[in-house]
Amino acid sequence: MNIRSQLLCAWCGVVFLVLFTIGWVLLARFLPPPSPSLGAEEVAAIYQQNTGAIRFGLMLAMIAGGLTAPWVAVIANQMRRIEGNSPVLTYTMLVAGAVGVVILVLPTMTWTVAAFRPERAPELILLLNDFGWLLFVMTFSPFFVQNMAIGLAIFSDFASEPVFPRWLGYFNIWVAILFVPGGLITFFKTGPFAWDGILAFWLPLVIFFAWFLVMFVVLLQTIRRQANGI
Amino acid sequence: MSRSKNHVPGEVGIWIFILGDMVIFGLFFLVYVYYRGLDIELYRQSQLQLNQHYGALNTLLLLASSWFVVMGVEKARQGLGQKAAPFFASALACGLGFSAVKVVEYGEKLAADITITSNDFFMYYYIFTGLHFLHVVIGMGVLTFMILKTRAKHFQSNDMIMVESGASFWHLVDLLWIVLFPLLYLMP
Repeated sequence: MNIRSQLLCAWCGVVFLVLFTIGWVLLARFLPPPSPSLGAEEVAAIYQQNTGAIRFGLMLAMIAGGLTAPWVAVIANQMRRIEGNSPVLTYTMLVAGAVGVVILVLPTMTWTVAAFRPERAPELILLLNDFGWLLFVMTFSPFFVQNMAIGLAIFSDFASEPVFPRWLGYFNIWVAILFVPGGLITFFKTGPFAWDGILAFWLPLVIFFAWFLVMFVVLLQTIRRQANGI
Repeated sequence: MSRSKNHVPGEVGIWIFILGDMVIFGLFFLVYVYYRGLDIELYRQSQLQLNQHYGALNTLLLLASSWFVVMGVEKARQGLGQKAAPFFASALACGLGFSAVKVVEYGEKLAADITITSNDFFMYYYIFTGLHFLHVVIGMGVLTFMILKTRAKHFQSNDMIMVESGASFWHLVDLLWIVLFPLLYLMP
């Protein structure tokens, strides 16, 4: 039952959180985000003043992003135990989760391009900065589909000893809905629905981190139960 | 079916979802009231452009739908699934009525060139009512499921948990609107 590999995959989720926080928050200092209302000169200054730390921090964040692949795989593996022969929700989760890996990695590369030549025209830095942030915050749809698939799979588990507890299904659907306001950032430069706003950014970000921790704790219990043959 | 005084309707998990949703909408409303306080004249002026009759009509529709759901759950608890289904169907009809009013209302606003970017008030108006409308649409799916369950020949106490969970969700849809309506349409 490769319990060891499963535990390794589950721990990858936690390592992702730690590494991403070190790189993206502490080194690149992308938290709080630069306001979308900033002008080209102001945005360019951010990349010019903190160039080395941004380059290194984003590199760590890029590495962290890849660790969500095994994380998605271990969730898929447990979902498969629920679904058995035609695991369509598992496949849905796996595909959406794989796209999620890309969405975590690609913005780090977009910002890296901005930090690669910080002396270039400020307008171009602004463009890359916009591209990175819109890519990072607005793209809720794969994560929405991923969490909905987990939720629906848990609801379909009618075994006497279900793989996951049922409340986890409701939790995943709740998280999925909380990602939705991120899709609104295309309309705003300021306020709660801008890419640095409380409802479009901070709330989904906190919930995203919390989702990893909740899923991690439940996964450990689930894997342990599977090891004990229940 | 035995039920104690401490009976929690539906399964426990649905309450995690409902309370979570209420916390989020609560946060939304706090943010709204805060920003409204910073620029109260703009919000008052914009608010006058809303049609209160549509809002009031929708409030009535949702209150009626909640009453239908309560009656339906009562019948279902007595094991009378066949009699419960028409009540849930009536609630669904109210939901459809709500949707129709909403579509007309959005249509009028858009025709008058009032969009999500017009000003801060209409940003909240579209986003809050839009997210609530998403709940209404999901809720109508849930009601349809409840109608099918209660109409089925083998309606059992196991299905009752499903019916109660669905009913709790529909009451949430009603409750959120009851807060949303005065906040957007009436607040002086």
